[in-house]
Amino acid sequence: MEISLTLNGAPTTLDVEPFDTLLVALRREGMVSVRYGSDTGETGASAVLIDGKLINTDCLLAAQADGHDVMTLEALNAVDMHPIQEAFVTSGALQSGYSAPAMILGSYALIAENPNPTEADVRDMLSGILDRETAYVKPVNAVLRAAASMRGETLEAFEALTVQPMTDGKSPVVVDPNDVAPAALDAVPRLIPSDDVPEMSVVGKSEIKVDAIRLVKGNAAFTDDFEARGQLIAKVLRSPHAHARILDIDDSAAVALQGVHAVIHYQNLPRVKYASGGQSWPNPHPYDQVSFDDKVRHVGDRVAAVAAETLEIAEEALQLIKVEYEVLPAVFDEREAILDGAPNIHDEADTEGIHDRDHNIVVHIGAMRGDVDQELANAPKTYEQTFRVHQVQPCPIENHISVAWLDEDERLVVRTATQVPFHVRRMLAPVVGMEIKNIRIIKPRIGGGFGAKQEMLIEDIVAHLAIKTRRPVKLELTREEEFMSSRTRHPQTITFRTGVDDDGSLLAQDMRMIGNTGPFGTHASTVQTVAGLRGLTSYNSKSKRFDCDVVYTNIPVPGAYRGYGAPQAEFALEAHMEDIAHDLGRDPLEFKRQNWVKVGDELDIAPHLGERAVEEGEMDEYPKVVTSGTDECVAQAERAIGWHRRNDPQWTNPADRPNIRRGLGFAFCMHGTSIPFLDMGGCSIKMNDDGSFNMLIGATDLGTGADTVIGQIAAEVLGVPLDDIKVYSSDTDITPFDTGAYASSTTYISGTAAKLTAEKVRKRIKERAAMLLDIEIPCTIELRDRKAWSPDGRSVTLEEIALDSLHWQDQEQIMDTASYVSPDCPPPFAAQFVEIELDVDTGQITVIKLVMAVDCGVAINPITASGQVEGGMMQALGYAHCEEYAFDDDGRMVNAAFGPYKIYRADEMPSTEVFLVQTMEDSGPFGAKAVAEIPKDGVAPALRNAILNATGVAINDLPFTPERVWQALDAGKES
Amino acid sequence: MPSVLAYHRPTNLDEAAELLSQPNRTALAGGTVVVPEARKVKPEGVEVVDLQSLGLDSIETVDSRVQLGAMVRLGDMNTDGRLSATIREACKRELPSALRNQATIGGTVAEADPDSLLLAALLVHDAKVTLHQGAGGQGADDVSLGDYLTGGREGLIVSISVDPSGHGSIAATGRTPADVPIVAAVACATDSGMRLALTGVASTPIEVDSASPPKLDPPGDFRGSSSYRAHLVEVLSARAIQDAKAGN
Repeated sequence: MEISLTLNGAPTTLDVEPFDTLLVALRREGMVSVRYGSDTGETGASAVLIDGKLINTDCLLAAQADGHDVMTLEALNAVDMHPIQEAFVTSGALQSGYSAPAMILGSYALIAENPNPTEADVRDMLSGILDRETAYVKPVNAVLRAAASMRGETLEAFEALTVQPMTDGKSPVVVDPNDVAPAALDAVPRLIPSDDVPEMSVVGKSEIKVDAIRLVKGNAAFTDDFEARGQLIAKVLRSPHAHARILDIDDSAAVALQGVHAVIHYQNLPRVKYASGGQSWPNPHPYDQVSFDDKVRHVGDRVAAVAAETLEIAEEALQLIKVEYEVLPAVFDEREAILDGAPNIHDEADTEGIHDRDHNIVVHIGAMRGDVDQELANAPKTYEQTFRVHQVQPCPIENHISVAWLDEDERLVVRTATQVPFHVRRMLAPVVGMEIKNIRIIKPRIGGGFGAKQEMLIEDIVAHLAIKTRRPVKLELTREEEFMSSRTRHPQTITFRTGVDDDGSLLAQDMRMIGNTGPFGTHASTVQTVAGLRGLTSYNSKSKRFDCDVVYTNIPVPGAYRGYGAPQAEFALEAHMEDIAHDLGRDPLEFKRQNWVKVGDELDIAPHLGERAVEEGEMDEYPKVVTSGTDECVAQAERAIGWHRRNDPQWTNPADRPNIRRGLGFAFCMHGTSIPFLDMGGCSIKMNDDGSFNMLIGATDLGTGADTVIGQIAAEVLGVPLDDIKVYSSDTDITPFDTGAYASSTTYISGTAAKLTAEKVRKRIKERAAMLLDIEIPCTIELRDRKAWSPDGRSVTLEEIALDSLHWQDQEQIMDTASYVSPDCPPPFAAQFVEIELDVDTGQITVIKLVMAVDCGVAINPITASGQVEGGMMQALGYAHCEEYAFDDDGRMVNAAFGPYKIYRADEMPSTEVFLVQTMEDSGPFGAKAVAEIPKDGVAPALRNAILNATGVAINDLPFTPERVWQALDAGKES
Repeated sequence: MPSVLAYHRPTNLDEAAELLSQPNRTALAGGTVVVPEARKVKPEGVEVVDLQSLGLDSIETVDSRVQLGAMVRLGDMNTDGRLSATIREACKRELPSALRNQATIGGTVAEADPDSLLLAALLVHDAKVTLHQGAGGQGADDVSLGDYLTGGREGLIVSISVDPSGHGSIAATGRTPADVPIVAAVACATDSGMRLALTGVASTPIEVDSASPPKLDPPGDFRGSSSYRAHLVEVLSARAIQDAKAGN
């Protein structure tokens, strides 16, 4: 049918099908700023302006728009940026930018209606656009700044606020309750400088993201924004059963359907075993997956896939596939899966390396320092507590999406939303029976990953189908599939036993864990190992032991999720330490401070846990803490949250609100920076005619700002502004290798690779400059302001050097490459505080404020670093407070949509404040440590401890939903 | 077979009713619920009948009541001063921005979501539903919203009218401030007494006797068990009634 509408000001006629959504119709017209996030309008990524109002196009038929005025972001994309776009770019509102077009259009409509919107107005407008990255902090501020700018007001540049240190960097201080933190908007990062950090010109500055233009204009940048001719659409038939054997598949009717080009399943594909976790070679065993199996192990597991001319034909074909199942008993709880007689989830003979197949134990992990049993037996005080943590999802707004095709040389190309392009290339090769050299993986912009995309999740499906059909094939998961078949955080049961000496020092910490890895062992060993590492590294203890079983069950597959085991372990640890302190009559913060690791302390169990773990006795010298800003973090955040109020009954029990209790909670956080001896990043830099540089990196920017930060590092070395470094990431044919975006490694590992590369290039530039300046010792030359300077003050521009080297004499391409792997893993530290109000009659918690102070070494870019902390805290808040997988008795998820699953919206986020405490970590590039994952670690325990402060009730299971809290309060009353 | 076989946009009520009287037809208002549902592949497919050109999108004052055309968007109700503060607040809390701009009052009533705060607010404001019964000018029927929700919900909704007077109050418990309430109580102090409606306790929002609330056995789910919901009814009803009284 034909519809007529006004599209971005122009009368337009579109030929659409009755079932086409406006989203589909607009994207078909090239309006790629309109993005898919769901089919229900839940994410807001698809929103445009219809008759001036922000409306989703994913739950609107194209025909409904007939006769209306439709405006997409493309309408604003004149040569210059619109003031709203300008504000988004200059105030750090963009991370992945996937939903930025909708946010900008919503702002446009809001400001048109009300030139002077309040923050509440802006938050209400943004309430329909979900964001997993920014916690809405900087977008809200950007919209307010845009409105001000459009009213003609002059704005000061958006930058970090420098806050003077409260400590000498070495010892704690007593915070005066009357001392007030400097006021600033939530969006402004508070930067605490250090005398150890030298002044630099690009590093440490809040530079604009290098990909800002393509993101803020909604230009073609993401996987789905490029379409090859003749592209087919794939869909996957998924299991309705949690555990079943497939006795037979009849695909004849599907194959016969017009428009269907291929149907694949276990009967027509070779059986190649693999592990889907995106990890370094050799991937940890067991290899317990195949592309399509004759057994399904969770609701949503793969049964078959089709490639067809259209989505509708593909969906119809799925319904025509007849599958005969033998339904098997299923088990979902990790504590039941290890019992005798539990259903055996991997009974197939060709999966090798399962630790204890009969009890579904995939892997057993153990590590010990000292004699834990002896110390526990002798300790004056011992404590034991068990914690249960639940299943949640990363929820990137861009779902998993991959497109595969055979190129002109019949090599396989896959453009895919991945965090690990190089791992995918290597892992995909045997599965599709091709050589690595004949596979190319392209990673475009990614709409958030958070670990979900550290996986070969669907690349094999599109590859199989592209090879079979010899046509390009696209597969994009729906939101429901993302919940049921993507990757989640591991549920765990964690028991801590701790022995404490009379002076409060720890004699023993014994951590027993059962990790639930669902039907496949992807990340089973590594996530649980990190949980052990993080659970046993924060505090000094005379002896330590980690004992862990990771078990198979029939829940949707756990895997990597930002934090990677640490959020679970630190929840249990910080809750346990809190309760010990109370029992000892100690102030929890002071008790923790007595025991937490400080500069010079050994990270003693760390080398015994990990992919390259060493045995007891193998280490001559254990790694030590070299830099720690913990005391400064605690002081800054303690002052900002008003920590003294926790002991004031007039504050905790407000007289005018009898059902309300207030509370404050604290958690000490410690994370890692990269996996030592394993994570490697490569970089190459070449110089262009105008003295600019192309930088190629394998590092994988997911919206995190990695390209920007790594570019800043190179720019600092080469003495040029960031705009002179053109960063490209990543393409396995073109860019150097990188392990990928995970393990808090990118700034530290890939950034150091960039620094080393830039230093090599700089050395050659200096040599060429020395020739031109007639100087004998090139190393006396300095690069700054796009020039090479001799000691006597003469200079030659980089452009002159480039032209000379490329065109004039002794011609050469100034170009170099370097890579980096680290022997160290310098921990970032942080103090997390939470303020809550709790309704004792209903159990409902309202989180008022989150304050986090992070020692991330030197923040290469304070704006993007604070954005990482804000977004991380928001995800961590969801984990602690409301997000959870809920199932029926048969293992089917009953809340596979954002409303019932519940992620935080703009109009309900608490206030957040971020402090970046600078320390000079000499092993990192220009002093940097990691920042992206540590904000996931402290919110759950700090919230739990705030409930304890408010009510005296300790809750050891997540999340803190109203009924759970109410039940605990009720039980507390009885006891 | 594709899911949505045809799209109709009738221009008068009789035409709409005639189209909807055929098998496998679905009325389409805003589309926030119907479009995702209709697009799921079904063997028989559906034809959608879009109600946007029936002239049902105005808000009018009729005597002391406010009449809302079935196609009025929740986003427009949210900002209309003729409606009570409670209804406007309930509109805002019903859906986030973009969905609120699309969803209609008629669609909300037809959907009868048991968790709908807006329906509870309409119930305590004496809402009446005007239905177009069949083709051929057989006239319009008015039923109370309560009867509509608990009855068969047959017929094409033309408008909903409310009595905007009285002082209302919302008491709700959710996982987060903007969560769909697990249970909500909406009270309104009116000239004829205190009215009280609840969400999250039955298959639709219900109005109950504020003086002697019935003993409920609400269906439980992962957000709240039956006993917890029953507890919330007691706490939240008392709060809503108290606040509504205090406002007068």
